[in-house]
Amino acid sequence: MTVPNEHLLILAGILFSIGVGGFFLRRNLIVVLMSIELMLNAANLTFIAGSRAHSSSGEPNLEGGLFAIFVILVAAVEAAVGLALVIALYRRKQTVSVADLDELGD
Amino acid sequence: MANLLFYLMAVGAVVASLGVVVSRSPIASILSLLASFFCLATIYLLAGMEFVAAAQILVYGGAVMVLFLFVVMLLNLGAPESAPDAAPRRRWAMPAALATSAALGLSIFVGVLGQDGVQAADAGAGLQEVDTLAGLAELLFGRYLLPFEAGSVLLLAAAVAVIVLAKRQRAAAAGRLHQGESEREAA
Repeated sequence: MTVPNEHLLILAGILFSIGVGGFFLRRNLIVVLMSIELMLNAANLTFIAGSRAHSSSGEPNLEGGLFAIFVILVAAVEAAVGLALVIALYRRKQTVSVADLDELGD
Repeated sequence: MANLLFYLMAVGAVVASLGVVVSRSPIASILSLLASFFCLATIYLLAGMEFVAAAQILVYGGAVMVLFLFVVMLLNLGAPESAPDAAPRRRWAMPAALATSAALGLSIFVGVLGQDGVQAADAGAGLQEVDTLAGLAELLFGRYLLPFEAGSVLLLAAAVAVIVLAKRQRAAAAGRLHQGESEREAA
């Protein structure tokens, strides 16, 4: 692949912006969690692009890919704990809408 | 060819991500997210990060997606308007299933038939791929061993945390049950 690195970074920026938009605009907690996953994926793409920018033809740089794997690990943990919290919340309040959780704002 | 595939996958990833944010039903959001993950995995593959692509498919496409789907179906959040809409949607189910299985079968067929040409063209590239994986393993179990161990501890902590979060409610309910029984006995 001979795509310039800037295009990878632009794609990562677009995906991150979509994730941020979903995080702030959507009310459903599960969709909010999915937007966080989108942002983490954009960060992964940035790691890969950085790894690509620092590797020469004979000697590939792999640290970006390594950190992408760490990010995937943390994202899996985040999804598990976040969804457990969503289930606990649903049991307590029968809702997954962010708009209904306003006790601290009153 | 690879560049064209990259731009195709980039457009696919953006469209699928927009689908996650825009679509009304949580199930459609989850399936769009899955499509976005697959597009990104293809981009990682094109960028020469085979193991990251595999981890992306296994962890995101396999584990995280199932978790999301499981929660949505457990809480029964998918499309509240299911009863009137069920019939028109099911009309598309059979063609969609047939198209998907045909595409998968075709890809296996092409892969098996075209193997000789691929092997001849990529004989050198194949060797390099193995080097990439070995280099990744050397980094992971050498210089970055401590973050790796920290990650495994994090996973263990998350497993325990999720069990506690899921169990506490049941303990409280059991406590309430016991309380009710003792009150009844007292009465």
